[in-house]
Amino acid sequence: MKELTLMMIGAALVNNVILARFLGLCSFMGVTTRIDTAAGMGMATTFVITVSSMADWAVQHWLLDPYGLGYLRTVTFILVIASAVQFTEMTIRKVSPSLFQMLGIYLPLITTNCAVLGVALLLVEGHMSLLGATLFAFASSVGYSMVMIIFAGLRERLALAAVPRLFAGPPIGFIVASLLAMAFMGFSGISTG
Amino acid sequence: MSRDAHTVEGIARVVRIENDVAWFEPEQTTSCGHCASSAACGASSAATGTGTGIGSIARRIEFRRFALDNANDLRIGDRVVVGVDDRALFRASATAYAVPLVTTLAAGGLAQALFGDDLLTLFSMALGLFAGLVVARIAARALGRRGELAPRILRHAVPGETCQTGM
Repeated sequence: MKELTLMMIGAALVNNVILARFLGLCSFMGVTTRIDTAAGMGMATTFVITVSSMADWAVQHWLLDPYGLGYLRTVTFILVIASAVQFTEMTIRKVSPSLFQMLGIYLPLITTNCAVLGVALLLVEGHMSLLGATLFAFASSVGYSMVMIIFAGLRERLALAAVPRLFAGPPIGFIVASLLAMAFMGFSGISTG
Repeated sequence: MSRDAHTVEGIARVVRIENDVAWFEPEQTTSCGHCASSAACGASSAATGTGTGIGSIARRIEFRRFALDNANDLRIGDRVVVGVDDRALFRASATAYAVPLVTTLAAGGLAQALFGDDLLTLFSMALGLFAGLVVARIAARALGRRGELAPRILRHAVPGETCQTGM
């Protein structure tokens, strides 16, 4: 239990998907203009990363490993992720068409989010159990969502600030992102003793 | 351009008029699609709606059509700014994604503690996901009955206005 908890904290904070592994930067800069859209995208991505990681783990352990098909891993995982996004889209449309109309905007973006594939590939390197892999994926995506929301909050405040003309827009966004990344480096000093 | 701090806005185009009801199609935007690889990237086609096959962006946008009362005498082709309450968006996201995820993880944790077998854990997680989707369906119906999921027309869109400009 303690191992799982430490692994989840590590995945969410110390090895944050965005600020430590530099994955998912497209959505990090593109969907963080408002907190609510960042939260919506974060929740959608969390769902897809967790579900696709379960499927990726099963494919890796019960198909690719036994038959020596490890060289097909990346292609297979991309297929699994695309299927997971399609499954999510179909399911939400069936569960509630109104919800789908409201939230469907995020789903096509997730297919092209490299954080989803990145987390799946990290699972393979970790040699975890199914529950461990799923919790790792969940914690990684919670870390992703948390950074998205923090950065969106900062950008909402930046929009009201008097930024010098040369730094307005993306430049000040990148500067803030780098400061945030440095702040998150502080988590690597967490003692486990 | 002023905007309500608690409203998430988007632009939609009128595609059909039926008596007093107008059907809208949201204009799709992407977080990326502006890079050097946009010509070959699936995300960029989201902005243009090209492609009509199963799972294509055009099909996705078609599925996202919605109807509202045509109180503003809108005509086919009119572009309007529609908005939803940001708290409603958050509740909708939580209903659709968080509820099934919580039940999936809870079922997986329980199965792992009881059986300690990966195959049974996977089976339990699938059951948990299904149960969560059923709960989400019930919660979404309740939200829909309260009218929290329906967007409202805010104003006509200014010519040339997109989700990326002035919003």
